[in-house]
Amino acid sequence: MERKKSIIGNPTRSTSSTTSTIKGLQLFIADLRSCQQTQEQEKRIQTELVKIKQHFNSSSTKNTSHSHGSHHDKLGGYQRKKYIAKLAYVYITSNTTKLNDILFGLDQTVQLLSSTAFSEKFIGYMTLELLYEHRQVVEKVNEKVTYYLLQDLSESDDNFVALALHFVGTVALLPFNQFATNDEIISAIFQILRSPTSSHYLKKKSALSFLTLLKANPVILTDDMQRKQLWIQRIVSLLDDTSNYRLCLAALPLVEYIAKNIDSTYCIRLVPQLTEILYNCVVVGTSSSSSVANQFPMEYKFANIPNPWLITKTVSLLSFLIISQNETTNKQLQSHSGPNTLLYASNLNPEVLSKLRQCVTVAIELGMRTCNDPMEKIVQNTVLFSLINFASKLDPTDDAIKSSVNALCSLLSSPDINTRYLTLDSLLKLCSLSGEVAINSVRYNKNLGLIFNILKHERDSSIVRKCIDLLYTFTDSENVKLIVEELLNFVLHSRNLNDPHMKSDIAVKIAVLTEKYAMDSNWFVIISLKILSLTNNNAPFNDDGIWQRLCQIVVNNSHLHKLTCDQLVDYLYKNECSESIIKTSAFLLGEYCGKVQDKISIANLFNLFTDKYSMVSNVTKAMILTTMIKLYNFAPEIGSWVIKFFQLELNSLDIELQTRSYEYLKIIQISKMSESNGNANNNNNLINVLFSPMPPFITKSNPLLKRLGGNLQPSSSPSSSSHKASAGSTTLVESTTPMTTPGVTQRPPPPPASRTNSMVPKSQEEYYVEQTSTLSPNWREGFNRMISHKQGILFTSPLIKIIYRITAVKTEERIDYSRLRVELSYINETEWDITGLSSEIFPFKVQDNPEYIIQNVALPTPTKISMGHGERSRQSFEIVIRKPFDVDNCGPLLMVHFKCGGNGFNHVKLKLGVGITHTLIGNQDTGSMRHVIELPEFIQRWKMLSTALGKDGEFIFDSVPFKKDATVDMEEARMTIRQILKRLGFDIVEQNSVKNTIFVSGIIHTKSDGNFGCLMKVKYQDDGKINLTCKTTLGGPLAEYIVRCTKSAISR
Amino acid sequence: MTHLKYLLLVSRQGKIRLTKWYAPLSPKEKAKIIKNLVPLILSRKAKMCNILEYSDHKVAYRRYASLYFICGITPDVDNELLTLEIIHKYVETMDQYFGNVCELDIIYNFTKAYDILNEMIMCDGSLAETSKTVVLKDVRTMDSMVGTDDLNRVLS
Repeated sequence: MERKKSIIGNPTRSTSSTTSTIKGLQLFIADLRSCQQTQEQEKRIQTELVKIKQHFNSSSTKNTSHSHGSHHDKLGGYQRKKYIAKLAYVYITSNTTKLNDILFGLDQTVQLLSSTAFSEKFIGYMTLELLYEHRQVVEKVNEKVTYYLLQDLSESDDNFVALALHFVGTVALLPFNQFATNDEIISAIFQILRSPTSSHYLKKKSALSFLTLLKANPVILTDDMQRKQLWIQRIVSLLDDTSNYRLCLAALPLVEYIAKNIDSTYCIRLVPQLTEILYNCVVVGTSSSSSVANQFPMEYKFANIPNPWLITKTVSLLSFLIISQNETTNKQLQSHSGPNTLLYASNLNPEVLSKLRQCVTVAIELGMRTCNDPMEKIVQNTVLFSLINFASKLDPTDDAIKSSVNALCSLLSSPDINTRYLTLDSLLKLCSLSGEVAINSVRYNKNLGLIFNILKHERDSSIVRKCIDLLYTFTDSENVKLIVEELLNFVLHSRNLNDPHMKSDIAVKIAVLTEKYAMDSNWFVIISLKILSLTNNNAPFNDDGIWQRLCQIVVNNSHLHKLTCDQLVDYLYKNECSESIIKTSAFLLGEYCGKVQDKISIANLFNLFTDKYSMVSNVTKAMILTTMIKLYNFAPEIGSWVIKFFQLELNSLDIELQTRSYEYLKIIQISKMSESNGNANNNNNLINVLFSPMPPFITKSNPLLKRLGGNLQPSSSPSSSSHKASAGSTTLVESTTPMTTPGVTQRPPPPPASRTNSMVPKSQEEYYVEQTSTLSPNWREGFNRMISHKQGILFTSPLIKIIYRITAVKTEERIDYSRLRVELSYINETEWDITGLSSEIFPFKVQDNPEYIIQNVALPTPTKISMGHGERSRQSFEIVIRKPFDVDNCGPLLMVHFKCGGNGFNHVKLKLGVGITHTLIGNQDTGSMRHVIELPEFIQRWKMLSTALGKDGEFIFDSVPFKKDATVDMEEARMTIRQILKRLGFDIVEQNSVKNTIFVSGIIHTKSDGNFGCLMKVKYQDDGKINLTCKTTLGGPLAEYIVRCTKSAISR
Repeated sequence: MTHLKYLLLVSRQGKIRLTKWYAPLSPKEKAKIIKNLVPLILSRKAKMCNILEYSDHKVAYRRYASLYFICGITPDVDNELLTLEIIHKYVETMDQYFGNVCELDIIYNFTKAYDILNEMIMCDGSLAETSKTVVLKDVRTMDSMVGTDDLNRVLS
């Protein structure tokens, strides 16, 4: 088959389709192509744009002045089409950057849709398809376009309808246009889909258009049960004619989407039909006997094989509808329709099952068949891949799996590179689905050698990656040595491996494999050190997981100490040793320097580390400093050198190194002093305590596995299938009690003193209570202000000022009053810079049905850069109020830390007055429910609550001191209190009958407990005291919480 | 199967000749794909395999003379080899329509190129029609309608 297409560089060459060409457009394109420079081209585009603009403008003015000319459309459809096509070309050739330059033609483009000429409509729809992703376009023309769309959908000419269907199908998934929620469009398209009189051509297109609408808005089918049942049945019946391959091809994706995302119950009945289609394609269609083969239309054959697209689509739907036993649990979790709506292979009709199995057998035969046409071979392989992946669903026998594996493995040596890639891919899937049988038959049939061979000679990194994943899947305790050696060789010697990521990936994989399957722990150590030593050669290895894991295991296994340390010393003697090795040495040799004394004296070891010191990063330097003092602790005779070394490092530019040296010098000094004081018992006491031997680590899981999790989905099976393998052998994981990592990822491992600092974890509540005892002075002022005002100052100090703002969160349809957004601004009040500003928000509870939840915390901005004088940093978070709570005792805490002017860290600890009253909204604020309460109604409700709940849900608080105690002016007090209550969100009942009392009402919103009404009487007395009485529609302490908040606001 | 994410036609010099996005991507994401993916593919050697993994999806591409046809596909849903065959089918169909198609045909008749593509792949990247004859028949029908339009224009 001829694949190379000739290029004939003659722009004016006429093509076979002269009828449809637009001459002006062709000339324009030819002009642009002949421009050598971009500037020239730009100029040409601009002049053309100006010309088009003029034409459009003049046509619109002439249209209005000579409305009764012989050509009432002055511009003419042909001209319009031509100009719009030019604009579309500009848009494409400028790679969408010229959008704004061509927008002026938008109205004229829409005008094209109204044309009765097909070609004009076509150009109109085509151009809009290109532009419809832009909001400004959609907003401007969507209404008109919708109108023309509906018109075209009901056209009698199929070609016009097809254009409209196509347009909807292309753009419905894009944002802004609302086609998928427009009922008229939806029903118009569905009408075409179901109507028995529609042509296949339109049915096919409408099925796909409908699929797009459904994807954009699945509610179309789930909203109305009756419609759902009716419509899905109609759609499913599209597949009833199993020999109409044309329609099947388009209907399959729609049915598949419904089965997967809407409801699979209706689709189960399709299994026999789908089997029929598959059988006709795979078995009948490929049969060599001419009499049967003729039944399959040549039209739908591709490279001598019946339509492979149809085959793969059918298989894909079937493999969703049929589930195998071992994936039941997974599916149950994923599928919302439950497991009983899907079919088990064992429940299949025996005839259907045997037909399906036959299909698999034929596909395998096809895959093995030799043929000369490369295209045919490719298609055969495609069919093979898709059916082999499907075969695992059909309760295959072990023999069936073996023959699948053999078929695949024979393709490993295929000359076609794509086939090799997909074979590896398919093997990976097969192994993870069919488990042990598949894995074993790949492993023991010389196939391993074949895979190694690919690894060695393949140049394409995607194939190499698959190879490595596959090898990773196969490894168990029996072949681990062989596979690890091969991988190691590959990393060390391969010339094809240039990708540093892949290199580190392989290294991690080797590390995991060795740890998991190693039978011999010495071998494990040797291999691990090999990995560590190679990582630095070409690519810096930026993750510390491997050496940290090694350290963990060595610490926990005392029989490894000696061997590892000996090996490390050898590595250190080499001129070029990697930084990971130095880190490992710094940690392990520091701990166990006593073990290598027969090999190297401590003094020499010290020298060795000083040599390396200059070559490594600061993080490693810090580790070496710790090693030095450990060496000193073990052999005090090297003291003078160690001290000298630390003294030199006092001048280090790095603050961490400086501090460490200083601290260690001091430690040595103190221990020497106590020695000279003759305090023999306490000799070196401090230093001994600080550098006591490392206790075993406790964490069980290997942190490296986490790294693999993401990029190794298909081969997740080793963990499951390897259980058997590892159960018999004493692997390292089981013999150790592994541990926390010795070093935190970025920062150098902390001086070991910290490890004696064992902290018993406290519960959240205990911690909360502890924190509230150390709040910053003056916190109460901001707290009360926060309760009474929606925005204001939370805290001021000579250093920093914090301003807050509380708003209810607006979701798309409505305001969610139970969700509060709190915005905080930090302002630097000093002359100096504030650096390292960070904050923590601390709720009362995080578990056990908490009253409120803090979420979406945006950290203060900017986090790293310092804030100059008067500069602000902002932070925001949301609080979801789930149920009533006492803001006084349980309000969230805010802790702010920052550095200013070199005084070290400053802390501000505040309680935030965000609570139940912030969800309080008056009756008339709730939009549609506008309602003003009059006094009689208030009293009536009050009585109703009294009869219903009695004293439950009521709370009285007498003699609240009003803030201005000097005020006696009742009128002024009344106004102030009214103001405060209004600000809290209450609705005030307007009345004049009771002079000294204010009646208020409101609604409290909570997320999980719902909304509650609340009524309150506020009585003010001559002595400036106020009595509060509150009733709520909910019993319990809610009324008390509201009164307390009101009190805080009033007596501020 | 076959839910293409996008189809790009790019010349050897990296010029975009045709784009069709089936997945709803933001303009920013699209620009990113064009910016990163195209040079990546242009730099691959002729003997390398035609499939590569790019960000969260796979890409299948094939070169015809000076034009690269690049298809973004959904892993595990699309079949890579068949995607290559779809590309080939598209090229074949255009070849038959234009008669020995070349890059220039596609540039000058980009509307037609879209038209043929639309007949084959629809909406969200599903395959609508695989038969070359049917596609060509449909396209020719449209051409004849255009012809009638032109005739009407002359007569009016």
